[in-house]
Amino acid sequence: MNVTLTDVHRSFGKNKAVDGVSLELGPGVFGLLGPNGAGKTSLLRVLATVLPPSSGEIALLGRDPRMSAARRDIRRRLGYLPQNLGYYPSFTVVEFIEYFALLKEMPTSAVPKAVAAAVERVDLGPKAKAKLRTLSGGMLRRVGIAQAIVNNPDLLLLDEPTAGLDPEQRVQFRSLMRSLGENATVIASTHLVEDVGAACSEVALMSAGKIVFRGTPGELTARGEGHSVGDAPLERGYSAVLTEARS
Amino acid sequence: MICPNEPDRSPLADNSPGGVDLGRVWTGVAAEVWRRRLGWFERAAGRLLRSPGLARALVTTPSLLLPWLISTVVVFGVGALVSLGPGQPIVWLVAPAVTAVGIAFAYGPGIDPAWELSASCAVSDRIVLLTRAVSVFALNAVLGLLASAASGAVAALTFGWLLPMTAVSALALAVAVAARSAIVGAGAGVTAWVITLLASETVSGRLTVSVTSSSAYLPYLAIAVCCAVIAVYAMRPQRGLQ
Repeated sequence: MNVTLTDVHRSFGKNKAVDGVSLELGPGVFGLLGPNGAGKTSLLRVLATVLPPSSGEIALLGRDPRMSAARRDIRRRLGYLPQNLGYYPSFTVVEFIEYFALLKEMPTSAVPKAVAAAVERVDLGPKAKAKLRTLSGGMLRRVGIAQAIVNNPDLLLLDEPTAGLDPEQRVQFRSLMRSLGENATVIASTHLVEDVGAACSEVALMSAGKIVFRGTPGELTARGEGHSVGDAPLERGYSAVLTEARS
Repeated sequence: MICPNEPDRSPLADNSPGGVDLGRVWTGVAAEVWRRRLGWFERAAGRLLRSPGLARALVTTPSLLLPWLISTVVVFGVGALVSLGPGQPIVWLVAPAVTAVGIAFAYGPGIDPAWELSASCAVSDRIVLLTRAVSVFALNAVLGLLASAASGAVAALTFGWLLPMTAVSALALAVAVAARSAIVGAGAGVTAWVITLLASETVSGRLTVSVTSSSAYLPYLAIAVCCAVIAVYAMRPQRGLQ
């Protein structure tokens, strides 16, 4: 298992952002759905080793991230796209991706090819030497995706990866996620249920810090039978599960 | 976006002569075209710090403009207080801590836009922060040295504050890199500073003599030269690697 969480909690003061989450995940694309404030971003930050959990046990890629050496090893094999990608406006696309490849401790000799491959995979070749300040929101999102995959990660965490992408780019990105999920564990948090239906082999729905549903997109769709809220079958399933969790 | 495990439908992949993977060839070409040529300073810093990532953090520190400006204002502000002010002992003791907090704030989560991303990387964000502190002090010390010819006040600030702080932060970074722990490095820097102040107190009865007495300038420069010699020695080409 690449990810093992046992009763993980994360609180901010009295607010329980993550409330007793347990998960076991191997390779594949795992969708994390939920309304705003459900705890998806906090859970991804905990998985990205940016936030320590308040309590509970975590093993990532078979290592315990509480130990410094293990955390460093995990981070070398981790790709992370935060919800709000901060960037340095004066860096070019290549400089930005290269900087994070170096901070991920990739072998120096492998960096130029890995950066070029990542840039090509997100279709930013013509903008490789452009300053980040000149790029559109969708292009910046693709820069964020490129830095996340530059080290060919075994664990890829994507927070709202398709936000800002146009429909054609979203279709291509889903294909990229499926491809990456053949060998790695890809966890994608999203509001967009169609992304989950198209790209994910498994899905979890979070509400108030808890996982209230886990199954395949087909199983989530089945939960929506007879439920009227939602335009698409998967949306009806999402809505039915949330309504049930809140009642 | 291109998925490597799927049939490549890009024009480059179609009907390539002799089965050559032109997509892969293009990636190799792009890597060469886009490759950033390292300057001598970054290469040297990479060898010294044993981390190309830290070296890149060091050289790119001034280009992050807002944090750089905030850090520089803090460094010169605190430096002016301790170098030009009355020099109360407690001020000397807490000044480095105040400056460190200022630099940490400038390059921390509130202002550094990519902090969250950096915090998920293998190179410790705390050691990156120490690297940025060295960069802030060292570059401002160089500017201070250049300006010292014009103004005595700048000379006092440079020799009394910027150079000693560059030395302390460089020591902290060196220990942090060697021990692979930013906390150990910061502890070493703070300890060295306190020992310096207490030694001054013991010798002269004045806590601040180590940074106010011009007789200390020569030892500082001697230490800087020794450090430079050690750095050059550490960066010499290794046998068998050339």
